Amino acid sequence: MKSTRLLDEIRETNLSYLLLAQQLIREDRAEATFRLGISEEVADLIDQLTTAQVLRIASSNMLMCRFRFDDEVVWNLLTSHTKDRSVSGMHAAIIMSGKAINTTA
Amino acid sequence: MAKVKSIIDEAAQIQLATELIRLDARLQVLESETQLSRERLLKLYKELKHKSPPKGMLPFSTDWFMTWQPNIHSSLFVNIYQTLIKSTDIEDIEAIIKAYRMYLEQIAQLGLPEVLSLTRAWRLVKFFDAGMLTTTECKDCEGRFVVHTYELVKDYVCGLCHMPSRAGKTRQSAADRFFNEEASVEA
Repeated sequence: MKSTRLLDEIRETNLSYLLLAQQLIREDRAEATFRLGISEEVADLIDQLTTAQVLRIASSNMLMCRFRFDDEVVWNLLTSHTKDRSVSGMHAAIIMSGKAINTTA
Repeated sequence: MAKVKSIIDEAAQIQLATELIRLDARLQVLESETQLSRERLLKLYKELKHKSPPKGMLPFSTDWFMTWQPNIHSSLFVNIYQTLIKSTDIEDIEAIIKAYRMYLEQIAQLGLPEVLSLTRAWRLVKFFDAGMLTTTECKDCEGRFVVHTYELVKDYVCGLCHMPSRAGKTRQSAADRFFNEEASVEA
């Protein structure tokens, strides 16, 4: 059994993630698909969740968000201390914005 | 182009033109993307910017997008733009505006200069539509970068995996130079 503290933290993370997702989708649906890396169908689903449903979904022992990039190159660029930060950040941004296509296609 | 009949349509077009002017679009972009008359666009431009729009032709060459720094900035914009086009059903011009805003956000976060203007970004999309430019995958990082359609090389390596020795050293001055170049075309 995980400690209740960790379970609480998972619930809180889920809650803030879902609420942020809803806010992004309601503000600008097209931009939200890019920022969240989700399809329009999933965006619709999240948009329509009621507060009660959001709370129920958040109370789980699993996180509702996951790492979007499993690419070693991206992680190396984002964590690199040797190279110019803005250049490696730009490189990572190009690769990540391109990979967003695969996940949403 | 057909004249705008409905007032609601016209309001939407003025809204679009306003957004484009705020992002520093040139008059040619507005004329191409809206059906408003040149006179109305000029009036709107002056109302928003308190000055006349720059005159002269738009930069027309695809070569600018191939130089080191512009290529990287254009590639970021195009990746965002293409994601929006693929994952949503918004109009091209809407996708250009949204992608351009997110491009600006990203480079601001990284502390980089605004190398790509909205007019250039719009031009870039037109070059893609015309089949003159496309993206290809870097064999090392798998990122997608802007290239000439007819110069596709098999083992393409991007300018970030293989940095030219002087790249980035004169970043600020290079940015100035590119903007001046554009300004001199306007003059």
